[in-house]
Amino acid sequence: MQFASCTRRDCLYGLGSSLGALAMTDLLAKEVKGPLAPKKPMHDPKAKAVIMLFMEGGPSQVDTFDPKPKLNAKHKSESKRSAGLATGFRFYVGSPFKSRKVGQSGLDMSEQWVHLPEVADELCNYRGCQAESLNHPEALFHMNTGSRLGADPALGSWINYGLGTENQNLPGYVVMSEMALPQGGSRNWSNGFLPAHFQGTRLRPTGSPILDLQAPGHKTRKHQRKALDELAFLNQRHALKHPGHDDLSARMESYELAYRMQAEVPEVMDLKDERPALREAYGMNDKHTATFGRQCLMARKLVEKGVRFVQIFSGGWDSHDYLERGHSSRIRSVDKPMSALIKDLKERGMLDQTLVVWTGEFGRTPDNNRRGGVYSLGRGHNIDAMTMLLAGGGVKKGTIVGATDDIGASATEVVHPIRDLHVTLLHLLGLDDNKLTYFHGGRYKQLSQFGGKVISDLIA
Amino acid sequence: MRSIISICLAFILAGELAASPNRHKQGERLFSLKVYPMLSSKCFACHGEDPKKVKGNLNLTSRVGLLKGGESEEPSLVPGKPMLSPLYLAATRAHEPDWSVMPPKENDRLSTEQVTTLKQWIELYAPWPEEEVRSKYITEDRSKLITVEGMLVKTSGGLSDNWTYRRYKPADLWAFLPVIKPNPPKSALDNPIDAFIIHKLSAANFHPAPQADFRTLVKRAYHDLIGLPPTPSQIYQFRLAWDKNPLKAWSKLIDELLSSPHYGERWGQHWLDVARYADTGGYSNDYERSNAWRYRDYVIRAFNEDKPYDEFLIEQIAGDEIWEKQPQDKRDPELLMATSFLRMGPWDPAMTLAPQARQIYIDDVVNSVGQSFLSTTMRCFKCHDHKFDPLPTRDYYRMYAVFAGTQLAERPAPFLKVENRSGLAQKKAMTQRLWNYAKTKHNELHQKQEAAARKWFNQRGKKYLDENARKKLPDEEKPPRHVGLSPEEQGRLKVRMQDEWIWNRRLERYQPLVQGVYNGPIPKSLNARSMRMPNNPGQKVLPASNILLGGSLEAPGEEVLPGVLSALAVAASNKAEDHYQISSEIKGRRLQLARWIADSKNPLTARSIVNRVWQHHFGKPLASNPNNFGAKGGKPTHPELLDWLAADFVEHGWKFKRLHRIIMSSATYRQSGNHPQMTKLKNVDPDNRLLSYRVPRRLTAEELRDSLLQTTGELNVTLGGLPVMPEINMKVALQPRMIQFSLAPAYQPSRTPTERNRRTIYAYRVRGQANPFLELFNQPNPNNSCEQRDSAAVTPQAFTLFNSQVTSDRSIAMALRVEKEFNTLHLQVKRAVQLAFGRVPDQAEWQRLKHYVTKMQQYHAKHQPEEVKYPKSITRSLVEELTGQPFEYEEILPAFEKYVPDKKPADVNANTRALADLCLLLFNSNEFIYVY
Repeated sequence: MQFASCTRRDCLYGLGSSLGALAMTDLLAKEVKGPLAPKKPMHDPKAKAVIMLFMEGGPSQVDTFDPKPKLNAKHKSESKRSAGLATGFRFYVGSPFKSRKVGQSGLDMSEQWVHLPEVADELCNYRGCQAESLNHPEALFHMNTGSRLGADPALGSWINYGLGTENQNLPGYVVMSEMALPQGGSRNWSNGFLPAHFQGTRLRPTGSPILDLQAPGHKTRKHQRKALDELAFLNQRHALKHPGHDDLSARMESYELAYRMQAEVPEVMDLKDERPALREAYGMNDKHTATFGRQCLMARKLVEKGVRFVQIFSGGWDSHDYLERGHSSRIRSVDKPMSALIKDLKERGMLDQTLVVWTGEFGRTPDNNRRGGVYSLGRGHNIDAMTMLLAGGGVKKGTIVGATDDIGASATEVVHPIRDLHVTLLHLLGLDDNKLTYFHGGRYKQLSQFGGKVISDLIA
Repeated sequence: MRSIISICLAFILAGELAASPNRHKQGERLFSLKVYPMLSSKCFACHGEDPKKVKGNLNLTSRVGLLKGGESEEPSLVPGKPMLSPLYLAATRAHEPDWSVMPPKENDRLSTEQVTTLKQWIELYAPWPEEEVRSKYITEDRSKLITVEGMLVKTSGGLSDNWTYRRYKPADLWAFLPVIKPNPPKSALDNPIDAFIIHKLSAANFHPAPQADFRTLVKRAYHDLIGLPPTPSQIYQFRLAWDKNPLKAWSKLIDELLSSPHYGERWGQHWLDVARYADTGGYSNDYERSNAWRYRDYVIRAFNEDKPYDEFLIEQIAGDEIWEKQPQDKRDPELLMATSFLRMGPWDPAMTLAPQARQIYIDDVVNSVGQSFLSTTMRCFKCHDHKFDPLPTRDYYRMYAVFAGTQLAERPAPFLKVENRSGLAQKKAMTQRLWNYAKTKHNELHQKQEAAARKWFNQRGKKYLDENARKKLPDEEKPPRHVGLSPEEQGRLKVRMQDEWIWNRRLERYQPLVQGVYNGPIPKSLNARSMRMPNNPGQKVLPASNILLGGSLEAPGEEVLPGVLSALAVAASNKAEDHYQISSEIKGRRLQLARWIADSKNPLTARSIVNRVWQHHFGKPLASNPNNFGAKGGKPTHPELLDWLAADFVEHGWKFKRLHRIIMSSATYRQSGNHPQMTKLKNVDPDNRLLSYRVPRRLTAEELRDSLLQTTGELNVTLGGLPVMPEINMKVALQPRMIQFSLAPAYQPSRTPTERNRRTIYAYRVRGQANPFLELFNQPNPNNSCEQRDSAAVTPQAFTLFNSQVTSDRSIAMALRVEKEFNTLHLQVKRAVQLAFGRVPDQAEWQRLKHYVTKMQQYHAKHQPEEVKYPKSITRSLVEELTGQPFEYEEILPAFEKYVPDKKPADVNANTRALADLCLLLFNSNEFIYVY
């Protein structure tokens, strides 16, 4: 008899329309299976989730967290440094910003950072990381996927592959960007060779957060439910004619999950219920900080709801010219929101288990070439030195780790390539890069490509 | 300390006394041949090779070191007692946390066989003979070609003797050994495929599934061969023939489909997946690769013409070298188009030093040629000799040397009559218009700036100098950069300049150029923006090629000459000193390589391609990694069948259409998806490796879109030509995305439905901006060669198929079609099901679906949809790096000025919308989206 091969789940599904949608979705929700089901970490994790604030373009280390008085003394004098592709006359560029020590711990921050000093003692400033690719998309791909080629799985995909996600009604890997997509676009959050379940889902800043999340306006939710029930009818009858093919039921389930997501995603996106003071703290009332502020607040909500990896791209850091203007404005746009995020996470007791990372794809040079025929006060791309912040999730607090030389040109202490940073992030989440592998193209592949080291200096 | 040493000595003595002379020799031999090389490759790097960095204070380079142990203060080795020897326990990776796993990296782990060897050696009291003794054992061993340990494979030689003389299990070498055509097992069935399949099935005590019904078969054949579903009347025609004579009807159907021009579109797509086709170059600029479409059409034509595969591959690797030898007036431009294969990888040398940019290109092309034609992942032996296969890094750099003089250029090649150039003038006019707009805007801003500059000079009583002329002046003697422009205007100026040359460059696609290659020295400047043939490429000798140790340009090793993979034992030349080396002339290297790949004796080539063809008929290849036939790739489930197919393919002139006929005329291909013993089979053979039944497959992204258009009657079946722009989600179309210095221009769909509704293979493919619908249904990322498509069901697929305007438009089109064809709801519902599923609904379905439409008629009478409007221009905003502030600018969208949109819900009445709801349901159903 044909019914014999109808699994419990398939039968339940078929009854969906008569049981009532709620009862059925509840039953399904409790039975978490599949590739995104939560998995046990490989060792005791320090962090459960990651919020990565990605400053696209490459923030300058010497103008943010790694001041270099010796560089300022050389301002506009000729630079004989040979670096990368630079040709022609080059000159040093001192920082237009003053720096000061902040917090109990005395971290360095340029004066442009107005709010961040309040949480300085939660931060770890890492100065030893080195990138490998001099141009944006390759460097972005490298920081996001461990490979410059733009075809491998992103960090967030690997983490979801290793740990699953705690809320099946939301994507496990969420990406937000300001207005424009970063160079290289969605390849930066691609699942690469991992199954498609692990790709990053972009929540759009305006309109429907996920493409086609909702039906067109004239179709109500009730209309949608009715259509799904009819679809279930067709699919169920069809499945009985084709027993033993699991793909068919997996596809049926994806429609029910879609239906649940339609309700849950807008709920997370809706920040109306957040306290006005909190909205203010995140900078949501000021046009300079509103977008990033909203995204930071959403990141907190998403992590609270069990999302594993949230990434926010903030563009415009590529200050080849007029760095003073460019970086001032960029710092202003993220300063207040990210400070609020760290405070908010801490107040809710979430910071311990949430790893916050602030980074770009590379750093900037201490010198510049003449651009447009003038002494242009900006900086080029630098793969030998950069600066990043880490907070929460098992990293050291109020600490500077690593160092750069006296003009900030190259990392000199605790020097590590990006792959070591990746291995460290995985480690903090309870994952071992050497074991988190996926067989593809004839070998077991891993995020670090060929293995890397945990940067133990970063770990509390 | 002393006591530890004496204990150790006691052990050594005990050990040596304990082993009988025979066993001692056995142990020595094992150590010399296997254990020492293993320790040396897996352990010494961290444990002794560098005396300054000895991890865990454990030195494994001598027996004394092993007996002493490390930080644990326990000996690592207890001779005779593996279970007490941490060396062994760590290697088993099963004694954590007492003994951390060693080597630490999963990729370096010892194989089960190596672990066993280690154990045996310890059981034999772990003798550690001196080097001289070890060499004796080694020399003795190397004189034998085959031993119980495996086979030696003669190659051009590895970086070490250990590698050169390592042994391989014959099973791991299956792909490297010559193809010998096996005789099919005796069988009641004529088709050799069935004989091989049934032979294995019977051995496992299973019968094959029965034949599928005629309807399933006709749908299967249409989808597999042309990527489109059959129309109801095509199904009907087939049924008539089938009822008379099933086998005759079947073979006639296959012939018809193979001669359809749509066959090339379907099978060309498979090849483009491997070749990584896209219309742009990727990375920071994502430049359009002007006229890449000519390669796409070349591939489609090659399949339609049934071009022999050996020719097809030679043309793609070395078409230009053949072209050059043709008489001037008879040169075939197709040969230049074919070489676009060598241009398909993502590549942009911006901000990259020239030697690195070249290395990135050559590595990519070597890997692509290896994967595509030889099912060999070349990357695996770029930095070192291959870890598992008989592929020395020397051979990698010999192939690398083949491409050392291959330079990239857009080459002139006259358009052919067969190439579809319709719409060229019209499209060129639009491009021109976009260029004019950018140019005008640019000029306005530039004039404003120069007016301010003029004023600046005037005020100082100096003579005005234009931007170029004043460039060299010191800063104090000229107006500031961007004088007279607000920060917003500065941003706009940059965007307009960028747009100006983006469109200028896009005008290039209307010239008869192809993405080609030529032989010559490396040009002075590499810029993907414009690459032209030099007037005289020069006949200079190329710089010598070297093995790059660790893959690094900074570590050149031994010099190498151009050559091929030596392990295959197929000569590439008659060079006396080495058959695997080819000419070192600047010209002709690629042709020699290509001919070697196409050599009928090359064991990889034919296996590689027949495996791919099989995969697209059965959803799964015979050898599970079509891009990697090495030891780590999946072994073939039916090796003899694969060899039979390969040999037969070559014997009969490398013809695809013949191969399709053989496969499709087999009973195996015609099997049903239902098997009477399914439950048992699911346990015994969950992956259906025995091929006992048919596994349904989800439509690929392209098939899905094409099937939708076919079903609604909207498909325009014109072949070839300039890329078309289907409508995509408007948010994605207008989504700003960064390219170097600027934003990429918005995506504008083609103006009319006829232009838009072409087959998906003709859709413009931008690396930096995937079509969201196709991407969701697993259209592969063209940055990587795709050996097999993913078909995972993920939630966003449900969103796009259920809610998007793209599918909504199709459902309205289908409803209108059905209404036009039939008057009553009763017949309309039937027709809709028939068009979508290729069958009429049964009574229960019919009633229920009719009832649903009736309900929806009532619903839609009360719910009025909004009108959909398309913008003629948009305001875009961007965070300008000059200021760190957002700024806005206007972009025109001429495509929407005389746009002919598809019919939208607001354009039709409630009854049509209700019927469209039904159509949408059908499009979302499994029956529509799977092929059985």
